[in-house]
Amino acid sequence: MVESLLALPPVSADPVRAGDTVLALAPMGEAVSLGAFAGAGRAALLARVRETFGVDLPEQPRAVASADGQVTFVWCGPTQWLALSLGESGAEGGLLARLRAACGDLCALTSQSDSRTTLRLSGPQAREVAGRLVPVDLHDAVFEPGHVALTLAGHIPVLIRQVARNPVTYEFLVFRSFAESLFHDLHVAMNGALS
Amino acid sequence: MRLTCPFCGSRGVEEFTYRGDATVRRPAGEASAEAWVDYVYLRDNPAGPHQELWYHGAGCRSWLVVTRDTRTHQITEVRAARAVAQAEHKEGAA
Repeated sequence: MVESLLALPPVSADPVRAGDTVLALAPMGEAVSLGAFAGAGRAALLARVRETFGVDLPEQPRAVASADGQVTFVWCGPTQWLALSLGESGAEGGLLARLRAACGDLCALTSQSDSRTTLRLSGPQAREVAGRLVPVDLHDAVFEPGHVALTLAGHIPVLIRQVARNPVTYEFLVFRSFAESLFHDLHVAMNGALS
Repeated sequence: MRLTCPFCGSRGVEEFTYRGDATVRRPAGEASAEAWVDYVYLRDNPAGPHQELWYHGAGCRSWLVVTRDTRTHQITEVRAARAVAQAEHKEGAA
C-alpha cells in the first residue's frame, strides 16, 4: 500500500519573540494558483468566480475573502491569483476540487500547497521589522489590511499582505525552500529593529 | 532609478531586468537579408528618449515598455508590453 508522506513544516523553530512582536509559521493550508487563459479567459474567469464565490477577483494588489469566508483570493499579477484556504491539501472536496468544478475551463489551476509557506509577523512594531527587509512603503496610510505587494524581502521573493491592523499583522508568502532563510532574516530584523 | 509598474506602483530598479530595445519588430518571413540583419543585430543608440523592454521579475512578472531618456534616466512613460502590442495589432488591423 502506498503511504502518503506527512507534510512537514519547513521551519522547525517555534515562534520567536522580540518584545511584543511575534514571528511564527502560519498553519499550513491549501493554496492554488489561478492563471487566466488568454483571450476572453480573464473576463470570463472574473464573472465565474463572482458567480461561484460571491466576490470579485481583485484587479489591484489586494486580497479578498469569498462570500462564505472559506477562501481568500490574493492578487498575484495582472492575470494571476492565488486562492488560499485552511483546508487540508489534496482533501476530497478541497479547494482545488472546488475551483476545478467552478472555473477549471477558464484558467490553469495548479496546486501550490507544497510550494508556498506562510510566515506571520505580528505585533505593535511589525511594520518597523518588515520595513527593514521589504522595499515598499508599508505606512498604514498606503498599505492597509487587505493590501498585497509582490516584492523582495532582502533577496527573497515574497508576497506580503497585511491581514490585521491591531496589532499590525503581515503574512509573508514565500517559496518553501526560502522559508527558513526568510524566518532567519526576519528574526534578525526583529532583534535589530527593536533593540 | 525607480520605475512605476502599471500593476505594482513605484518600485526600485533592482526588481526589474532590462530586456532590450522595444522598438524592433520582427520582419515578415520572406523579408530581405538586410531586414533580418537589421532586426537581429543592429540597434540604434539614441541620446534621448528611448523605448525599452523591462521585465518586473521580482514583482508581478510583467513585461513593460519603458520610455527612458538615455541622457538623464528620466522615465516619461511605462506601459504594459501586452497593452502596447494589442494597440499596435489593432492599428495594423484598422
